Amino acid sequence: MKTIKHSYGADLDWVAPFAKQLEGKVNGNFIVVPDTLFKGSRYVLDCGDGIVAYYVDVTNNRDVNLIQKNISNDFIGIYYNLSEGEVKYSSSNFKHNVGRWQYNLLVIDSSLETNYFIKAGSKSYVLCIFIKKSMMASYAQKNNITLRDIDKITDPSKNTIIRFDRMSSESFHLIDDLRKLKVGGPVFDLNLTGTVHLLLSNFFKKMSSVRIIIQTVNESDLANIIAIQMFLINTIEDHFPTIKLMAHNANMSESKFKDLFKKITGKTPNTFFIENKLLKAKELLEGKQLTITQVSDRLNFTNNSYFASKFKEHFGIAPKIFVKQL
Amino acid sequence: MKNFTHFYSLTPEWQHQLAEEIGGELIDNKIIVLPKTLGHGHSFFTQITPGISAFFMDFVLSTPIKINRLKSEDELYIFHFDQSDQANLIKIDNIDYKIGSSINLGLAIINNNIESSFEPAVGQRTLALRLLVDKKLLNEFVENHPSEEFTNRKITIEKKAPYYYDNIDSNSILLIQSLKSKSVFDSSFEPYLKGTSLKLLGNFLNRYSNSAAVKNESTEIEIEAIAKTKTYLLDHLYNPFPSVPFLSKMAGMSPSKYKMLFKKEFHNTPNNLFIKEKMLLAYKLLQSGDYSTLTEVIYELNYTKLSYFCTKYYDLFHRKPSQDFIKKIKKKQVASQFSVPYIQRENDM
Repeated sequence: MKTIKHSYGADLDWVAPFAKQLEGKVNGNFIVVPDTLFKGSRYVLDCGDGIVAYYVDVTNNRDVNLIQKNISNDFIGIYYNLSEGEVKYSSSNFKHNVGRWQYNLLVIDSSLETNYFIKAGSKSYVLCIFIKKSMMASYAQKNNITLRDIDKITDPSKNTIIRFDRMSSESFHLIDDLRKLKVGGPVFDLNLTGTVHLLLSNFFKKMSSVRIIIQTVNESDLANIIAIQMFLINTIEDHFPTIKLMAHNANMSESKFKDLFKKITGKTPNTFFIENKLLKAKELLEGKQLTITQVSDRLNFTNNSYFASKFKEHFGIAPKIFVKQL
Repeated sequence: MKNFTHFYSLTPEWQHQLAEEIGGELIDNKIIVLPKTLGHGHSFFTQITPGISAFFMDFVLSTPIKINRLKSEDELYIFHFDQSDQANLIKIDNIDYKIGSSINLGLAIINNNIESSFEPAVGQRTLALRLLVDKKLLNEFVENHPSEEFTNRKITIEKKAPYYYDNIDSNSILLIQSLKSKSVFDSSFEPYLKGTSLKLLGNFLNRYSNSAAVKNESTEIEIEAIAKTKTYLLDHLYNPFPSVPFLSKMAGMSPSKYKMLFKKEFHNTPNNLFIKEKMLLAYKLLQSGDYSTLTEVIYELNYTKLSYFCTKYYDLFHRKPSQDFIKKIKKKQVASQFSVPYIQRENDM
């Protein structure tokens, strides 16, 4: 196992030492690391306003333990983690599996020392946003957001903030879209900065709205709900499975299942399913390999017109116009 | 019609003048609320990064207005994305351009050095996003772009015309549509707008870098089907042309679509391609020396009239078939019999 000690920050000072630790070097915005350790791209971008984005899309070839010990504790790290494989995140008082089907949104105060353990063979896909606490405070004040934890966030001497959460499906698709682009270059920079702003917008909206804190949900219930979400995504091309079936699979009563699903994902099972189906349809249409009829058949819509009307309802334009102007 | 004038700058100061003129309320240096006398709605201005600002308009007018934009010192390009319910008018150099609604083109790029005016439709929702981009910055983006071809093309477009006019690509439409459901008074609106604007600009640059590559619009299945019919044609060169309806049925398309795709794929019509291949085969047959008359050759290829064949042959090779024809005659065989001992004799010497 390889152990790496490093720090992050809301500026670019940490990049060079980190690259050195990884036995690589900094090349423009890229951190180039030899393939024996990781294969893929690491990209750092200063988005202005005290925000730094760190984009990682790599396959891990060795067991690695990343120990994060920050020099300055004036920032918050927001980690959107869509890794597949075994990834553990731990500190002195918590230990969780993270990844696409685990907790995938982490908000960690920089004053915390954490261990990030990656198993060989896992695929990391993480977008980290490091944002200055002062920036967050001024942002909240400017926009009259009443954050319950805002004092805790901004005052380093007080309590630290740790939050394990699931990202909204809107955020998920934003990050997924980013993956389709070639890393590097002005187009990617623009999109990355854009995505960061959109994610922050979602994040603040979520923080300011009263919502269940996911950590308070029973661990096994949470795992079951996430498993059902995964099940829905994997069978996205089929018909909607019944609530009865899903509740049964999750070992819950139907009403409890519906209630909990909505609390955790923010959507009802059916809305969640339809929205993801339509996004899948959009992806298929973007591929330009299938006609609208083929897409609608493949995704098991009863007929074209129903598909078209749903598509229009969700995206605001008809699929035909969408295809035409791609 | 009421006339208003304003100018743009990357910083929010210019809004004071516009807000005062239309009698609207300016909130927080960002939002201008339209006065009730004109309609209802608002605009939102924010600076995204140094060199890029966004101006978002979302209102319904009750009286017609005309907003004249004066030229200003700043070297800017104005990207105007329009997703209104009705067509709006943009006037540049006294020429009206319709923009917005699903029928018209949705994107105009205007040079800040040239005056223009904007006339939104009355009684319908106007939804437009203007990005103000520093020329230097845009040129930097363009120059840093990996593809060189892109650089050249892009700059020529910008220099020739003071404005540029295009469709908005689908993904950008979705982005703008998503703004429609948001409220500008919402706290998360500003980062959302920033993000959207940057992604729009990214999409725009991406689109222009890829536009050279976007020629293969037909799907793989269609191309396969077309290729199949071509192989069929090549395998049946001895037969008469099987007709376009037959071929299109084979490819599973309408005849008109089939013809169109075929031409796009092979740069020739099915029939012309068939004749061309047939003539190449004819040339082989003529050269083979297996036939004693031209008529035999043309019958082999399913032609009935020698004169028709000759015309087609001449069209392709600019030679008469008889010039290429090598006859199969007994005399030739006799001649070769004579020649063998002659060569042998030569070798003997």
